[in-house]
Amino acid sequence: MLNFFKTTGAAVAGLALTAGIAAANPYEPYEGQTLVVNFPAHPHFDAVLEVLPQFTEETGIRVEVDQLQYLKMRAKQTLELTKNKGDYDLIAYVVFSKADYVYADQLENLAKYFMNPALADPNYDAGDLIDGYVANVGVAGGEKGYLPGATGSLFGMPFGSETSILGYRKDIFEKHGLEVPETYDELLALACKIPELEPGMGGLASRAASGHHASHAFLLHLAPLGGRIFDSEWNPIVNNAAGVEAAEALKTIVECGAEGAQTFGFAEAGASFLQGNSAMFLDSTVFAGQVNNPSKSKVVGKIGWAPHPAGVRAGSQTGGFGIGIPTNAQNKEAAFLLMQWLTSKQADQAIAIAGGNPSRFSTHADADVLAVHPHLEVFGEALKNADPDWRPIIPVWGKINADLGTSLSKVLTEGDDIQTALDGVAERARRIMDDAGYYTWQ
Amino acid sequence: MSAAARANRLTPYLFLAPAGIILIFALLYPIGYMVYASFLDWSPSQRIGQADFIGLRNYTNLLTDAAFGESLWVTVKFAAVVVTLEMIIGVGLALLLDRNIRGMTFLRTIFILPMMIAPIVVGLMWRYMYHPTVGIFNRTLKSWGMDEGIPWLSDSTWSFFAVVIADVWQWTPFIFILSLAAMQSLPRSALEAAEIDGATEWQKILLIKLPLMMPVLIVTLMLRLIDAFKVLEVIMVLTNGGPGLSTEIVALRIFRTAQEFQELGEAAAMSNILLLMLMALTIGMFIYTKIQESRAAKMRKAAENAGDL
Repeated sequence: MLNFFKTTGAAVAGLALTAGIAAANPYEPYEGQTLVVNFPAHPHFDAVLEVLPQFTEETGIRVEVDQLQYLKMRAKQTLELTKNKGDYDLIAYVVFSKADYVYADQLENLAKYFMNPALADPNYDAGDLIDGYVANVGVAGGEKGYLPGATGSLFGMPFGSETSILGYRKDIFEKHGLEVPETYDELLALACKIPELEPGMGGLASRAASGHHASHAFLLHLAPLGGRIFDSEWNPIVNNAAGVEAAEALKTIVECGAEGAQTFGFAEAGASFLQGNSAMFLDSTVFAGQVNNPSKSKVVGKIGWAPHPAGVRAGSQTGGFGIGIPTNAQNKEAAFLLMQWLTSKQADQAIAIAGGNPSRFSTHADADVLAVHPHLEVFGEALKNADPDWRPIIPVWGKINADLGTSLSKVLTEGDDIQTALDGVAERARRIMDDAGYYTWQ
Repeated sequence: MSAAARANRLTPYLFLAPAGIILIFALLYPIGYMVYASFLDWSPSQRIGQADFIGLRNYTNLLTDAAFGESLWVTVKFAAVVVTLEMIIGVGLALLLDRNIRGMTFLRTIFILPMMIAPIVVGLMWRYMYHPTVGIFNRTLKSWGMDEGIPWLSDSTWSFFAVVIADVWQWTPFIFILSLAAMQSLPRSALEAAEIDGATEWQKILLIKLPLMMPVLIVTLMLRLIDAFKVLEVIMVLTNGGPGLSTEIVALRIFRTAQEFQELGEAAAMSNILLLMLMALTIGMFIYTKIQESRAAKMRKAAENAGDL
């Protein structure tokens, strides 16, 4: 805590200093304005709320936060964004909303703000932002429509983004002289070896529940094993050899998992790891904040972290939240200043120290941050392989995702044949894509 | 026609007007909106005016949608099983408890408690009880010497039973309380007459109590059936439709179509199909009672005529 005050204090002083040298205060024209922002109830944004008062202190711009449960956010934002004059000046959105909001022209293109010398901070250092996150959450209009590329542009900034990381029980690994897995072969062998070495303990805690959870777990393995859902012409290729291998990996992991693993969601998989019933955990980094909290975890101090194991390529998930300015916002310029401030180096560090997910490479290497959260060093390494295209960000994905998740659940619980199940998914995906017009040019 | 006479004729309509207006705004408008929406390709990011009109495509898509077909089948199966079980247990309990026992009021309150608990809480409660390792069912089974517990929520057959059990637990009291009330208002004279004629307990139940309670039982059955077709929260919390699609009832499918797939038009089309099914059910039930009533009236008339002779 003391450390936190020291660093944030330094950050404030640093900002005050740069403002002093520039002689003018870029925030002055917006002093006294009140911004309304929409954030989810999420560990990252809880940390943001601790740091946010500094913004008002430095700039004189007040911020009102409307915090909602993250699944409720979409419905509320949909209402707000379709109004003529919106109440929100800045919104946090989940990565899937990017496709819908940009397509419906509801998010501001950020180019005009970064071009405006009165608004853009020359010391912002955008190159330091984690490129996988920016590509995943922020940019649209390039390759495949939802990725960066020659025709892409920026609509939001990653803020509270996540990647996947492998957590493991250091004590169990030491006891049996096990090596931390770096490849998928090692990971799968280990996942099934652990229940033999430690009776009653599952190998790897993974989500597998019908629907979104099963699909998410499958996609985590699909990208590193060399697969994709679609090829470059939107033909479903989820049923190729890599897809089958990923589904087999998921099946192996669930079969060698803790009791009841077939119905684990994210929360149950996490709980299984925290209660000491599973030796490994492979999922979002947002989970890392809980392992050393004694009220939630029985494995305090026993957890080590490693990058997501590699298959034919190294690729970890990208997801979580970004922030953007609605086109119907009332105070767009001040909102941009807040956005720039929140994703600046200083604020990113302060938020990381308070327990948030940093969006910058430099924060993952910062000595003050690492003193409080040493695991961020491994995360920084893992982020270099963050894959922005591990799942398609298109409006019809929700439907394909649900179908994929249901079919995989049948594979896991009813013993359906993997190839047949994935062939079915591919066939139905093709029909959905056809309806949505993806084959117009074929 | 004089002004007074005209006013006189208009008066009843004037009194009906408030109810009519409320009906139009609260009932017909939303239903009309839903019917209209079911002809649109409408994503939540659009205003309804911006959505494309696609005619009957949502409906034709649903006809070929295997997942929707499966969830329709699951719903019918679920409703039939739970309502049958609830009727048998509920009416049975009412027959058993229709007597003067000490502390009856207290017992009755205890019996209807499940009905008063919020569905989400019921779902969470049962989910913990079904938990594979720490849940009370599997712990008990294991303490009895079973090696492996029952995969309550992770096997498609068992998870269907699991949601049925939870629903029966929650809604049997509803049928119990209504049939108990019906039973206590039965004319004592008929029962006394039967007793004097030497009827056994079974004969009294089958020939007097149940037939006399029938109108109430039919309405109760209707209400439960309609409710069972729309049940959402408990299943959402317990299994969220899984594993596979084994417990994905139509209400849950509609919710997911609107929320996850962002297809409001298709969700509206599904709602309309569900509405039509329930309407058919209700109308069928009304026709059945009408036939029953007219038959009873005929029999009464015949009996009266016989008495005249």
